Amino acid sequence: MDESAYLTSIVAGTFLLIAGARLLRLHRRTRERPELLLGLYFALSGAYYLGYNTPSLLQFDAWPPLIELAIEWTYILGVFPYLFFIRSVFRRRDAWAGWLVAACSALASVGTLKMTLDGNVEYSLDDPWFVAQWIGYTAPCFWLSWEALLYQRSSAKRARIGLCPPIVANRYLLITLFGSFQVLACLADLSYANEVGSDQSVSLITDRLLGGAEIASIVVLWLAFFPPRFYTNWITRRAVILPTPMDG
Amino acid sequence: MATTLFDIAAERLEESTDMDRLAARGTLRLALKEAGLDVENLSVPQLRAVFEKLMPNELDMRGVANPAATCKAVMDDIASAASTADLATSKSPDEIFKRLGGS
Repeated sequence: MDESAYLTSIVAGTFLLIAGARLLRLHRRTRERPELLLGLYFALSGAYYLGYNTPSLLQFDAWPPLIELAIEWTYILGVFPYLFFIRSVFRRRDAWAGWLVAACSALASVGTLKMTLDGNVEYSLDDPWFVAQWIGYTAPCFWLSWEALLYQRSSAKRARIGLCPPIVANRYLLITLFGSFQVLACLADLSYANEVGSDQSVSLITDRLLGGAEIASIVVLWLAFFPPRFYTNWITRRAVILPTPMDG
Repeated sequence: MATTLFDIAAERLEESTDMDRLAARGTLRLALKEAGLDVENLSVPQLRAVFEKLMPNELDMRGVANPAATCKAVMDDIASAASTADLATSKSPDEIFKRLGGS
């Protein structure tokens, strides 16, 4: 892989760790579950990105298989709180959402468990266990993106009558984008698996797709969770709030 | 029998206007949709905003006399009848996303 792709992943991993730590700190204060679940997902994803790219960064060949497996599990363990976050925030009362959480968790776990039993991490499109794992961790990204998009549309209406702060309505849009960029990164994983599985070197397109999706994800997360004042002011200024007829 | 905040509001609207049950519920449903609100998870502040900002226009379009005063009367009635039905909690997605971004 291209050196800049590793650096992008290191930057993404560091940012995710910081975002995760911030949400976990928030949870200590509020004791609410959503910040705990999303904080765990970000922190574990960040640890995965850093762990996975450390050999390239420090220029040694590869981790021993046991550590590679531990790194793989770090990411998969993060998928569980991610799924519970989406369900608890958007679909608390829908039974089907519980089944979707169970199905994704099972696919991600079974695929990773098979890798564990085989004793090494292998990415190949010919391996149905890898494909199962891939579906298990990609579906939540798509699901988050979809749910946030639905809420973005209704929150824009609520914002018009002053029931939803414009910055919160915008945050749904940013989370929609985050989920979409994560899906893109997952598609790049497929391309990576295809190339590595057929003993080719990783193509520039895969590198760029992965790196671009990671950087774009970080930018939208930064705007969503660490919004700079100029951005908040800009969103608030653009918002149109209906006047109250009774006031007149 | 009125059971949810939506039911209470639609019932009061029906009593305060010439609209029948179906028309009152339909009008309120349309206003809630316009406001991006979910009928099942309504809170009193949300309903108040709808009655203040959207319902006067909806009632005016349906030929209801003095829509602003009607809305105010309905809302006053609801606020006293449904003070315990306020469902705006820390569990609503808006509240969660507000908290997560630190705003």
